[in-house]
Amino acid sequence: METNGNEGGHRFSQKSIAQLDEIITHYPERRAAMLPALWIAQREYDGYLPPEALQEVADRLERPLSEVQAVASFYTMYNFRKRGRHHLEVCTCLSCAVRGAYEVMHKLEKELGISAGEVTVDGEFSIAEVECLDFCGAATVVQVGDQYFGNVTAENVDMLLDQLRNSDSHTPVELADALVKIMTPGGSEAAPA
Amino acid sequence: MADNDLVNVKIDGIAVQVPKGTPAIEAAKKAGVDIPFFCYHPKLSMEAGANCRMCLVEVATPRKGPDGTISMAKMPKPQTACSLPVSEGMEIETQTEQVIADRKAILEFLLINHPLDCPICDRGGECPLQNNTIFYGPQNSRFIEEKRHFPKAYPLSKHVVFDRERCIHCARCTRFTDDISGDHQLAFLKRGADMYIDTFNQSKMVSKFSGNVIEICPVGALLSRDYRFKARPWDILSQKSICTQCSNGCNIKLDYRVGRLQRVNARLNEAVNEEWTCDKGKFGMDYVSTDQRLVTPLIRRDGALQPATWSEAMDLVVQRLKEAGKSVGAIGGARCTNEDNYILQKFFRNVLKSNNLDHRLGTYLPPAQSGLHARLGYHTMGNAIADFERMKTIFVIGSDLVNEQPILFLRVRKAWRFKGGRIIAANPAATQISEFADPEVTYRAGAEVALLNGIIKILAERNPSAADLPGYGDFIKSLAGWSIEKAAEESGVSAERIRRIADAIFSGETAFIAGKAVTEHPDASAVIEAICNLAVLSGNAANVNIPVTQCNAQGAMDMGLLPDSAPGYTPVEEPGLNTRQMLEAAADSNLKALWLVGADPVAHYTDADLAKRALGGDTFVIASELFLTPSAELADVVLPVASVAEKDGTYTNCERRVQRIFKAFELSPDVHPDWFVFADASGRLEQPLPYFSARDILREINVTVPLYADCSPQKLGNEGIRWQYPSAKSDLQLVPVEYRPLAKVTVAE
Amino acid sequence: MPETRILLKHRDEPGIEDIETYERLGGYTALRKALGMERQEVINEVKSSGLRGRGGAGFPTWIKWDGIPKNTNQPHYVLCNADEGEPGTFKDRELMLKCAHQIVEGIIIAGYATLSKVSYIYIRGEFVESAKMVRKAIDQAYRKGYLGKKILGREDFDFDLYIHVGAGSYECGEESALMSSLMGERGQPRLKFPHAPLPVIAGAWNQPTLINNVETYSVVPHIIVNGGAWYASMGTQGSKGTKIFSLSGHIAKPGNYEIIFGMPLLDLVELAGGVTGGNLKAIIPGGSSVPLIPAEIAKDFTLDYEASQTVQYRMRTMRLPVVGSGGMMVFNDRTDIVTLMLRTAEFYAHESCGKCTPCREGTRWLYKILYRIVSGGGRPSDLDILMNICDGIDGRSYCALGDAAAWPIMGSLKHYRHEYEYWIEHKRSPLGDNFVPPVPNRLNLNFELLPAR
Repeated sequence: METNGNEGGHRFSQKSIAQLDEIITHYPERRAAMLPALWIAQREYDGYLPPEALQEVADRLERPLSEVQAVASFYTMYNFRKRGRHHLEVCTCLSCAVRGAYEVMHKLEKELGISAGEVTVDGEFSIAEVECLDFCGAATVVQVGDQYFGNVTAENVDMLLDQLRNSDSHTPVELADALVKIMTPGGSEAAPA
Repeated sequence: MADNDLVNVKIDGIAVQVPKGTPAIEAAKKAGVDIPFFCYHPKLSMEAGANCRMCLVEVATPRKGPDGTISMAKMPKPQTACSLPVSEGMEIETQTEQVIADRKAILEFLLINHPLDCPICDRGGECPLQNNTIFYGPQNSRFIEEKRHFPKAYPLSKHVVFDRERCIHCARCTRFTDDISGDHQLAFLKRGADMYIDTFNQSKMVSKFSGNVIEICPVGALLSRDYRFKARPWDILSQKSICTQCSNGCNIKLDYRVGRLQRVNARLNEAVNEEWTCDKGKFGMDYVSTDQRLVTPLIRRDGALQPATWSEAMDLVVQRLKEAGKSVGAIGGARCTNEDNYILQKFFRNVLKSNNLDHRLGTYLPPAQSGLHARLGYHTMGNAIADFERMKTIFVIGSDLVNEQPILFLRVRKAWRFKGGRIIAANPAATQISEFADPEVTYRAGAEVALLNGIIKILAERNPSAADLPGYGDFIKSLAGWSIEKAAEESGVSAERIRRIADAIFSGETAFIAGKAVTEHPDASAVIEAICNLAVLSGNAANVNIPVTQCNAQGAMDMGLLPDSAPGYTPVEEPGLNTRQMLEAAADSNLKALWLVGADPVAHYTDADLAKRALGGDTFVIASELFLTPSAELADVVLPVASVAEKDGTYTNCERRVQRIFKAFELSPDVHPDWFVFADASGRLEQPLPYFSARDILREINVTVPLYADCSPQKLGNEGIRWQYPSAKSDLQLVPVEYRPLAKVTVAE
Repeated sequence: MPETRILLKHRDEPGIEDIETYERLGGYTALRKALGMERQEVINEVKSSGLRGRGGAGFPTWIKWDGIPKNTNQPHYVLCNADEGEPGTFKDRELMLKCAHQIVEGIIIAGYATLSKVSYIYIRGEFVESAKMVRKAIDQAYRKGYLGKKILGREDFDFDLYIHVGAGSYECGEESALMSSLMGERGQPRLKFPHAPLPVIAGAWNQPTLINNVETYSVVPHIIVNGGAWYASMGTQGSKGTKIFSLSGHIAKPGNYEIIFGMPLLDLVELAGGVTGGNLKAIIPGGSSVPLIPAEIAKDFTLDYEASQTVQYRMRTMRLPVVGSGGMMVFNDRTDIVTLMLRTAEFYAHESCGKCTPCREGTRWLYKILYRIVSGGGRPSDLDILMNICDGIDGRSYCALGDAAAWPIMGSLKHYRHEYEYWIEHKRSPLGDNFVPPVPNRLNLNFELLPAR
């Protein structure tokens, strides 16, 4: 495991440690940086949170391990398994459901040869059904990493897949990175990763 | 709370007065109204509670109209009685049609995923879910969908097994590990109906108090692996008792069936253990019902211990005691009842005319009137266990508290968690207290005095009025060579942290708790003197605590199992030999007979070699024991005696609380309480000690030992009585203490 | 009746995300004006505007502002709830994306009025694009001195605004759960009044806390600039000003529409181009939590906080809101109400935090029964059971999520009982084989309703 000179198998880079230290100062209690710290961990640990990542968050925030896992597992955007390079989250909630979200879902399953929750063999794609992404005006909505794609239909979803195949963007790591930058003051002026 | 903070509320029309802010569910208890609940627990924090919704009631509060008339306004939604603080004039209805329907609905919800495997569930028969369903539940289930399934009987640790299907998500266990034990082992993972309890990453549950989650679980989800499938609750008989695993004196119930202990549950005593036990107590008491228990006397014949009758054994004992004359001694008593110990010392002092009595097996064997008693006027603990809750600061020094005094640990943590107390700790190695101690410092082993001198130096400067204390001149002169920097260098604790400790002590009433690292220090008396100096200097002379560690060591001291004092700490004219001196005398063949009373020097005395030589030599050794211990194996006569479960009597815990135990069952007709054995021996020496029961002996103690005058069988009750010294010490003084770094210290005589 | 754009006035303005453009269009004049007023005057202005919380509950905003203890040295906090999660609602997303400065300005004014020093905006983790805009707006505001130390030269006003990003939980939009999540805990609700003090007395970190919705804060600058009376001149007796409705579903021009309170429901549908793909069947007027309104009676409803529907339980009658969060979903006559409710039930079963019994067990049970009905296993007794379950959840759960799960089912049972009965009797939809939403394919109804979550 890459350690970045950290102790105890910790993986946070110097930049991440600095960002976490900055974010901790936003709150009256260290514990409040739990969600940000988990986002940083998700960025550092390849887009998901293995037990070592939770351990590192617990150590850095001086909180019990069980609590870190309890918090992380409550929220659906933290991954506990490795996702595909492009993790397609298809909204199938009300407005999308009546406008063809399930057709999009089935098309994706057929096209990629996987069902919801699985990753393609080459690690390129994974798909999931999610609850309302609150972009109902553009149903059906698909979130890929840090990007929303609106008005997706069973007909045009191929185009979306092609576009993603040729793209290095919109990975789970990028999503975490974008959110960490959003929480860091001055994040909008930082150069894109 | 003052009287004017009382409010008037009505529960189902029954008027009661309770302090403002009392949870409605407690007010209902006072009114004699039953409100069912699962998650509510008065000792656990409310924030994660109020989740089972079983205690919903309808509430109305008085509201003043625009014209000044007061009318009752009903809250639109039913409220959980467990979390609702009552206010003046509140009216609570628990029997309306709506409340009854709500309870049915909640129980139906709880039962849809509950497996209903009650016939094979250990909780069946004493299960709140069963009971509430019988009284408040729907008659049948309308749930025809598939229930949630999890692996059954999932072991969480050596002691606890978890059946996730039965869990009703009340959060009592998770709150226990957060609020009470502080080991944060259990937590909810995921959410909604997927939510379940687990340890981090499915690791083993590591807790000193895991047994409590079994008791507070309102269903059969968390169960004891020891007790599992052993008995049904309705087959069990229960007897009130006291845990013997340490000196804290937890109130327990011995649950037994056909003469064997099945399990131990905690018994409520707000003054001692509240309602908790530690795992040592809950799972360690099964020694009383193991097959290794001795049930017949053993006599050494042809070099081997062989079974004998009581008459044979006692005749031999008496014959050898006669031959020995005054050259006899007894070690032990720390595990016996006060009654046993009183008769033991009476037998030795009055019949055998010997003061060679000692219950201690440690290295620190001070005369009874020295040390803490000489300085502060008490022998062990200045505070009651419950007093720690009100302390502004608690300073734990040289003690792995959670292991040495588990219940004190819980009280100290409670002071921090719920009462705003500040905990500071100084130990030779990090302990579990570091979770909440701020700071917990680690000092170089043996450098206690250096650390204390650093703190004392700071406090002496801040507290000019200390100059009026007797001995101040010499004391301050002896500190001349000390600076904070020197203390930091000697102790290995940074000057900044020494200052923080001093600040915390200076900030308000502080209690001191010292443990084994102090009492087993080669220069223990110097460390204790230094702690006393710190306490006197900071105005906390009544708050020093050096608790004993063995079950009834405090009672043994009180009952005069000391070479230099009779019961009640009356000095004796010719002090006898202490433990070390007796063992040395036996090893040198200068002691004719030695009686081991529930003591095992070979295993527990620091110098095992000396113990072996003492017991294996010419001295006639009698061992009153439960088991064939390594020491008993060297004895000449081994007498089987009753354990805590098989006799009546009293124990005195570390805070001097005298508490009763009751006989639960009989192991064998050949097993007797210790006092009976001494009385029998005395009778055979034609000086009868005519007692019929432990109660008789306690009544005599009430008369002959003034400190125990109030502790009569009638008065002890369920809470016990903490005996008090007649008066507090008035002539406090400061004493110079010499710091001797560890290497230069030779073991004190 | 046309739209009345106040909050969305500049949404199509190029470069509105830059502070210079915003200032040119009158941005931050409200803040300057507010700083020239006494703090109580600001609160009084909000009071006279009649502004009510736009998150869904419609609580009068000024009462919260006025409830924050004055003259205290305790730290207190201003929170902005941008954890928009209600199905059908996407107004906050657009406000953040297009008009982030307006929100920031509103929050700063709230901070000034309540003497706070620190504020947080809690944005749901999925809203990356919107959150980036808020980040940019905050960074620019710091640069211009609208945030930070001694704002606009006022010695006594230091104010920081931080972004706290969520991680996927509808429940965190509930104000006390949001505070739990902000404090780094599981997003579960906390004890409420009368069991615990109100958030304005003891909220986040047990300190006085003001919490409002994105849309509420967005209104504030306009009230300060134009005066409360101006705002109160719009709308109805109890619902003043404008409200953004998010239209989606079978509608020709989906999107956000800002209208003055009191507009007839069907007028708004017309404004958004009318129904597509068939005739109007039903409207969910205010986010998935409020009961649907069938086309036949839709003409009787206007959009304001006074509008309500009732549902009848065995022992009580409940008055349920219409406006809610403003997420209006329009359904044509190809929509099957039972599968629609199944999808709604799945949402609440998935998003229930699990803390309290009725919501944790009840939402999943509702879902299981509905799934059984659409799988052909329905029984006539199921409808009574559904109503009983809703009765057991509504008002009995720890927070309003449970109520919100029960209301739509109750509403559909009131208006469309015959469709349920048809499903149960014929084991198929009254619409034949051609209906939306389709029946999802679920293997295990016990765990992880949506795979991979």
